This record gives sequence, structure tokens and C-alpha cells, in this order.
Amino acid sequence: MAYTRKNVSRLTRTERRRFVDALLEVKRRGEYDEFVRTHIRYNTADGEHGLRTAHMTPSFLPWHRKLVLELERALRRVDDSVTVPYWDWTRDRTATSLPWTDDLMGGNGRRTDRQVMTGPFAYRAGHWRLNEGVTDRQYLTRDLGRARNPFDLPTARDLESALADPVYDTAPWNSTVTRGFRNKLEGWAPGRGSVSWHNHNRVHRWVGGVMVGGASVNDPVFWLHHSFIDLQWTRWQQRHREHRYLPAEPPGARDSQHGRIVARHERMPPWDVTPDQLEDMSEIYRYE
Amino acid sequence: MVLGVGGVPGGGQRVTPAAGGTRPRGGTRRDMTRRLLASAVGAALAPVAAACGRPPHTPDDGRQGGTFDETYRGRRIRGVEVRASGRAAAAQWKVTIDGRPLHLMRRADGSWLSMVDHYRSYSTPLAAARGAVDELGPDEQLRDLAPGPMGGAPEHGGGGHGVHA
Repeated sequence: MAYTRKNVSRLTRTERRRFVDALLEVKRRGEYDEFVRTHIRYNTADGEHGLRTAHMTPSFLPWHRKLVLELERALRRVDDSVTVPYWDWTRDRTATSLPWTDDLMGGNGRRTDRQVMTGPFAYRAGHWRLNEGVTDRQYLTRDLGRARNPFDLPTARDLESALADPVYDTAPWNSTVTRGFRNKLEGWAPGRGSVSWHNHNRVHRWVGGVMVGGASVNDPVFWLHHSFIDLQWTRWQQRHREHRYLPAEPPGARDSQHGRIVARHERMPPWDVTPDQLEDMSEIYRYE
Repeated sequence: MVLGVGGVPGGGQRVTPAAGGTRPRGGTRRDMTRRLLASAVGAALAPVAAACGRPPHTPDDGRQGGTFDETYRGRRIRGVEVRASGRAAAAQWKVTIDGRPLHLMRRADGSWLSMVDHYRSYSTPLAAARGAVDELGPDEQLRDLAPGPMGGAPEHGGGGHGVHA
């Protein structure tokens, strides 16, 4: 029977504790850092050569769906009552609202070095040392809302602009496309500065600290964010039932995207799974 | 030591081309004095300059070939464009912060991003390097990344696996 992913604001005190404890145990076992490594390794940008599976690509959504699913499996091996909650950043929008409480993600970073000092993932609590990263920093950092030059989280209207697009993705299937649900949700847009950071990307930048880097998985809010992003894919599917993941077929040999993206029935590294196999999750989990 | 401050207090926003660049450094005594002064205060003023949001001077256009070498917010940023022989279009940038390689990547629209600052992009390698510095905390240093399966991480000691212009 499918399990349920809940809005983090609806977790009971016990559910919060069990979710946090499961995360800490997965970290203690050394499994968590493998998720960080995977995210760092699959970082290819679209101005370079090679297959892109995680970012600036149609498989942005199934790739992160699979990553969250694998983390959730690790959590449920520890405690089978646990699922990955989602953070609805269109509703919980301040540095002191959920999930930034001491019994969940902990709070903002301090001003001097952005170090998170509160909650279960603070370095000084002794359970959350960053072992994998693009820098030598060992403690979790955040800069919620970016104190030096503040900007706001995406709004429900921003999200709606993505959900309203009936087409999943369009050629050239990268960060430059201005049509299609995928990139409107992933959030690459033209322009300079914060006006060009949309939805998914904008939230990473709003959290700040390690969440803006390739090792963003080091902040456990990564999972709450991507659970909510994943929910948007489900909502989009429900709204546009005649539409599916694109491209359905791989780009041809003369196409600039040949060999660089994952079509619907192609394997999506590092896993032996296709986007097609990840479109319907209703037998594994559902969203409350 | 503060290099590339360019003789202007707060010149962390400016770039001094290295030897062979198109903008030779001034050689007069007055210039020297100004540089020394800038050296003393440049690191302290760089964050102020950054906060002013002046657009960066960008001689690091991939088509021209070039280098940059400056201190920005107390960090030494150096970049050099490396052209693969026989392929004029295959320009690559090797960028370091305090001597450690910064993994730069290029977007399809020609802009640049780094592994430190991964969810936005910048118009030049220098701007991306400054963006990375903005995200580094006090005493925080870049770490060498092992090459990824997708060819996405820098070669060891190579200062970047190569970004293709």
C-alpha cells in the first residue's frame, strides 16, 4: 500500500522527531554522504559536453524524484513510519516559520560565518558534520533570504506560471528554453540578478549557504524542497492528463542534443531506470 | 600581498591584465604610491565595492583570450584562458581562488556558473569567481573534487576540467 508524504506543517511532534532521528541515523551509517556525492557528481551544465541527467535537462524531475525516493528508502530502513515531508514555500515564507524550527531543520545561520547554531543539524550538536562538499567547510550554513541583499521566495503565482504550461519540455531541452513546465519549474531564466532566479533555483538561493552549491544535499532541507518540487510534477500530470514526459524519443544524430539528454524510455544514470518508469508513483507514495 | 587592485581604492571590482594583457600597469611613482595604498586598503574595501553592485569590468571575454588576477574580498582570484591547439573555438578557463581550482561550468547561453554557486549563472568567468567568493565563509577554502562520471569535475591539479567556449 502506498505511503503518504505530508506537508511538514502537518507533522505531529512525534512524526517530526522520527523524521529527524531517521535522518541522523542515515547520516551516522554513512549512507547520507553517498547522496551528497551523487548530486555533486551529476553536475554537467548544458554549455558543456556530455550527458546531462540532473540539471538543465528534461530529466531534472525524474532524476530528483529517484534521488528523493532512494533517500526515503534509506530513512524507512531505519524507521518504516517515516516519509519525506514537503515544504510549501508559497505558504511558509519567513526565516522563522516552518521548517526552520529547533525540532526540524533548525534555524538560520549566524551572521559572522552563516553557521547554523540551532536544531539537530547544527555542527555543535555533534551529529551533522559535512564530509562531502565543494569546500572544506564542515558545518552546515544558511543565509535565509540573503541578509546582504534580500529577496523573497517564489510565490504561488510563480508556481502557477509553471503548472499552467501543458507542455512538459521543449527543444533544445536545456536551460535556455522559455516554454515548457520543466524549465519554468527548474527556474533558469534570462536576465540578471534575482529576477532571473525562478521557482526551484530561487529557493536554493533563498536558503543560501550550502544550498547554493553543488553539495546542496548537505542541508537536509534539500529533501523537503525537492519533495515539494516533486509534488508539482504530480500536480502538473493531474492537470494535463494527455501530456507526458518529453522528449518521447532521443534527439537524432544531427541534433545538438544528441546523446546529451535522457528520452522517455532511456536509462537515466546513475540508476537503471527510465523517466517512463518514474512517471507514475501512485503505487509507492502519494501526497496528502 | 594584494595584486591586481588596479591603483584604485576599492578596486576589487577591477581587473589588471597580467603580462601580455592589453592594459599595461602604470609605472609612474604616483601610480606606485596609489597601488601601495590600494594594497593596504584594497582587501578591506573590496566588500564595500562589491556591495555597490558596480558591473564588473570584463576583459575576460573568451574570444579575446585573457587572464585576470585580482584580490576580491580578501581572496586571490586568478584566471587564465587556455586554448586547445588547432581548435580556435575550444577555449577553456582555469580559475583558482587562493590557489585552489574553482570548478567552472558553462551554460548553453554562454554564461558561467561554479560548483560553489550552482543555481545561477554569471556573464563572465571572473564574475562567476567573484560570486563563488561571495559564498565562501571566513577561512573557507575550495576542495579538489574527484572527476565525476559525467566528466563534470576538474582534473586533479588541473584547475578545471575545461570549459568549452
